Amino acid sequence: MQSITEIETFDSISLSILWSRLISIVDEAGTTLQRTSFSTVTRESNDFAVVLMDIQGRSIAQSSISVPSFLGVLPMLTKALLEDHFPLDSWHEGDVVMTNDPWLCAGHKPDIGIVSPIFYQSQLIGFIGTIAHSPDMGGVLWGAGSRDLYEEGLLVPPTKLYAEGVPNDTLFNILEHNVRAPLQTIGDIKAQIAANDQGIRSLHRLMDENDLTDLVQLSDAVVRSSEKAMRKAIKEAPDGTYNYTYETDGDGNGAGCTFQIAVTIKGDTIHANYEGTSGAHELSINAVKNYTYAYTAYPIKCAFSPDVPNNDGAFYPITVEAPEGSLLNAKKPSPLGARNITGNMLHSVVFGALSQAIPDKVQADCGSACWCIVLNGQTNGKEFVEYFFLNGGYGARPGMDGEHTLSFPTNVANVPIEVLENDIKILVTEKSLVNDSGGHGEWRGGLGQRFSFKNVGDQSINISILTEKIKTQAKGICGGEDGASGSIEIIPDRPFPKKGLDKIHPGEEIILTLPGGAGYGSASQRKQSLISYDKSLSYIS
Amino acid sequence: MQLGIDIGGTFTDLVLYRPDGRILQFAKTLTTYPDPTIGIFNGIEELKQQFDLDITKLDKIVHGTTLVTNAIIERKGCKTAFVTTKGFEDVLEIGRELRYDIYDLFLTMPKPLVPRNLRFGIEERINSKGEILTPLSKEHLQKLSRTLAKEQVESVSICLLNSYANTSHEKKLGQYLQKEFPNLYVTLSSEIMPEIREYERSSATAMNAYVQPLTDQYLHKLRKNLIKDGFTGKLLIMNSSGRLTTIDGARKSPIQLLESGPAGGSMSGVYFGAQTGNKNLLCFDMGGTTAKASLIHKGKPEITNQFEAGRVKRFKKGSGLPVRIPVIDMIEIGAGGGSIARIDTLGLLTVGPDSAASNPGPACYNLGGTLPTVTDADLILGYLNEDYFLGGTMKLNKEAARHAIKTKIADPLGISVEEAAFGIHKIVNENMANAARVHILEKGLDPRQFGMIAFGGAGPVHAFEVARLLNAPRLIIPVGAGVTSALGFLLAPMAQELIHSHVHNLESLDWNHVNAFLSEMEEKATRFLVDSGELKKDIHIKRIGDMRYEGQGHEITIELPNGRLDESSVETIQKRFIKEYEFRYTKSLQHIPMQMVTWKVQAIGIQPELEVRKETSTTTTNHKSKRRVNFESIGFIDCPVYKRAHLTHEFHQPGPMIIEEKESTTIIGVNCDVHIDNNLNIIIEFQ
Repeated sequence: MQSITEIETFDSISLSILWSRLISIVDEAGTTLQRTSFSTVTRESNDFAVVLMDIQGRSIAQSSISVPSFLGVLPMLTKALLEDHFPLDSWHEGDVVMTNDPWLCAGHKPDIGIVSPIFYQSQLIGFIGTIAHSPDMGGVLWGAGSRDLYEEGLLVPPTKLYAEGVPNDTLFNILEHNVRAPLQTIGDIKAQIAANDQGIRSLHRLMDENDLTDLVQLSDAVVRSSEKAMRKAIKEAPDGTYNYTYETDGDGNGAGCTFQIAVTIKGDTIHANYEGTSGAHELSINAVKNYTYAYTAYPIKCAFSPDVPNNDGAFYPITVEAPEGSLLNAKKPSPLGARNITGNMLHSVVFGALSQAIPDKVQADCGSACWCIVLNGQTNGKEFVEYFFLNGGYGARPGMDGEHTLSFPTNVANVPIEVLENDIKILVTEKSLVNDSGGHGEWRGGLGQRFSFKNVGDQSINISILTEKIKTQAKGICGGEDGASGSIEIIPDRPFPKKGLDKIHPGEEIILTLPGGAGYGSASQRKQSLISYDKSLSYIS
Repeated sequence: MQLGIDIGGTFTDLVLYRPDGRILQFAKTLTTYPDPTIGIFNGIEELKQQFDLDITKLDKIVHGTTLVTNAIIERKGCKTAFVTTKGFEDVLEIGRELRYDIYDLFLTMPKPLVPRNLRFGIEERINSKGEILTPLSKEHLQKLSRTLAKEQVESVSICLLNSYANTSHEKKLGQYLQKEFPNLYVTLSSEIMPEIREYERSSATAMNAYVQPLTDQYLHKLRKNLIKDGFTGKLLIMNSSGRLTTIDGARKSPIQLLESGPAGGSMSGVYFGAQTGNKNLLCFDMGGTTAKASLIHKGKPEITNQFEAGRVKRFKKGSGLPVRIPVIDMIEIGAGGGSIARIDTLGLLTVGPDSAASNPGPACYNLGGTLPTVTDADLILGYLNEDYFLGGTMKLNKEAARHAIKTKIADPLGISVEEAAFGIHKIVNENMANAARVHILEKGLDPRQFGMIAFGGAGPVHAFEVARLLNAPRLIIPVGAGVTSALGFLLAPMAQELIHSHVHNLESLDWNHVNAFLSEMEEKATRFLVDSGELKKDIHIKRIGDMRYEGQGHEITIELPNGRLDESSVETIQKRFIKEYEFRYTKSLQHIPMQMVTWKVQAIGIQPELEVRKETSTTTTNHKSKRRVNFESIGFIDCPVYKRAHLTHEFHQPGPMIIEEKESTTIIGVNCDVHIDNNLNIIIEFQ
């Protein structure tokens, strides 16, 4: 057991108090972002995150119900801004910096990073940043349909969107004239700024009330505590190198992609090496280094140290390496739009490897990646861009079945059917759980879902679609069986992409069946009472 | 004469008001299971014995209960069916697909109240404009009724897609089933919560159906037994928004009762706020298993419609079942006196969120609990009197408390038992103050402008420190701090709220249409109150609009003007919207049209007033003893201890001190003035 003397400056009681206060501050800012935003992707699906950082750009607190990759990327973005774009002395009160550079920010252009400096008593004491998925950045409709980076719309390098409180009208003007739904895109950016502002105000109060003048010691204390907890947990796991190979759909028609990982646990560190993974893909499903790091570190954090609040410290023991130019470390001008499809697979690879070292702390594969649908067209002469997300079954866990239709590793909610139908001219014809889609095992994988909808307008609607696990399945671990694959049908039947762009013509109906989660442990060990229960509710036949 | 009755998890509280003598009388008795009406009659018996209560002279009884909440938490509702548009039966189980904890791989989502085998789809479809695409057919109605007959469900919930835009199918379906099965309970989503978002609406509808039979049977029995006992007055029910409804209103929509007890506490806060001249107050209610906070702002409680019942993980937003009904905006800020203290994986001392509750209870209860709790720490610090807990009816074991804290906290951290106890006390206070502060800040208000009023068994023990941390100017410990909710029931007005969904841009509304539905709603709501005995002249109408900028998905609530509306009302409404938006989010937006979403009409009856006789005697001596107590700034001192019953008007002393009464103990530290006002409330002014 550690003693409080190891954590200097703050005793264990004050630190516990201040820490929870920091988390409340970012959560409160997150609520403001969600409630003042315009796009369904932010307001209904929660595709955003808020992070509070110190003057070195280290994360010290992050919003609770958020997209994990954004949480991991924001501190990397802020450190890069400080190093290469805006050194410490170039920040002023009232500045707001924006960028969607995929290599600096979250790996594709729709994710807009907004970072604001926090001044207290005229001193720069830290930063607050948000990333939210913007409904549109121009170019080809967001998804896997772009052929290179330049088709993916506008790239805004790190730029002051506000300088000392004065808006950069030129940039706002350029944005407004390059995106399909300017009201939503700019409305959401303003919601991000409002969230940052609220976070700054709340932090000021915390400083006032606790007679703090800077965040240096507090930041050191929380970062070191999280680091320690993470190192301690890793140290308890058996040393060794654990390999795992994993196949995904690729474009869904031709050859798939191979993910190869070697996870090395050595003392209190973990190194993940993706040597042997497929090269960059011609579809825009390529991930950049930052993003690969975030989605590799995230499942490690879940498995080793789920209880300790996350911040920079949790990442220090984790290193990640992926071959240059590969699917997981893509270079310009590889297209990146749908990199989430790839990033959402990394937990499967990491857990697959870790199941050999810490089988009681990992879950079986989920029916992910999360499927994304973007619809675009005109109603009454107005351009619309409507996003919605669908999640497959959750993987089984030692001692517990997988939940049905739950978002993992990302964390995005569905858009209510009634909201969709109210926004655009589609009619949803089914949303239900898919019987028998969960992988068998001592613990069963969660069920996937079926979601069908029809174009009931008199114009064709552009669709960008992202699916996964139509050719492949969620992989069972520790003896568990695979989940069921997903599928796409269009009525009347015609060829339709599994990832990419098409149109839905008036009267056409699309039926999406999402994959189930995988099982954990041998099916022969499953309790009879659980089998009967599943049968009584038709989860299995 | 009026009687308030609050059934809580452990105790049933009664408050009797006699307008002739202008006095309040209290009774407290154990809640009885499985039949809580027995507890009520035990309490009534106590009032008869002690205060000569004549039940035939009661004009009104107001009742609130945890029955509904408990039925949901313990999953003890009835066999309920869920009927929806065919193809969408699983919406109730799928929910929003969002995880409430991003790092916990082992999380569980709340199970739906209606399992899959009792969810049925019916062929029908209405679109978002309210147009019927597929009509309901007789054949499918018959098929459904055959299925329901076979399953022998007691209650059915009906939530069809887009029924917020057109209620006709739900109504038709409901009427048909009611005719087929006269004893079946039927809940329609368009009556419970006519708002967009199918999962949230389904959830509230299923919940209502799930608890309806047991609530109905309970209220029926209670009324029958009261009448048998000679009661001839009105029996009214407290709802979650701090207002009253009739027995019939409560039977129809029992989910209104979810937070009736705590809502009573807030209504008391309003009352004592007015009595002591405090329009802004934070109500702090701390018991054995929970601590809650709510705000009184400008003399009124805050109302919200974001509420969750039956959380899988305590304090985790999103881990419960959503119910969007008007509820007094109350947050759970802690786990009460039973909160367990431990050292976490980081070596940090943490308290809660789990509670030892009353079984096994804190170590000092001697009921088998071995883990250190907040109550154990309070005992070690001298805040509680081992010989005078619950007025001496329960003896506390100080050694057991000391042992638990020593082995689990003090020794591992290498500190003394007193330091550890102080750490526990301090952390729980800080946690509660933090949560309360966030709650105030989320509303854009300044915590320093809110005095605090504290009640509940453990409230007065912790209130002083929590109030100090919030920089509250003063703290009030009201008379009857142990029965505050029941008292609040007697202070709530009758009310009926109707909701109508009509999404449209503010500037292009058809005002004739708006006036037509608003006046129809007003008439209907007024009629409900008149039928339940309110005088028409006493009924006050309040209109509320949920509004947003076009394209947003979340609304803010503003009050709309009364009377006939037209184009000239637009400017007033815009101004109110902008004011509220800026208040919450700092900056309003330009060039984006404003949109009306939901229209609400409230008919509110007369606000009851309890006039209580003022105390004028100053003759009694203020008996005093001393005990060793540890205060943060000064360490252990011999602190004066008073019995509250002996303190009289014009008592005026500086802190520190302890004031004991049967239901609680008030701990008062240094740097403050304490006096008793002429209503016998304890008023603590911070320096």
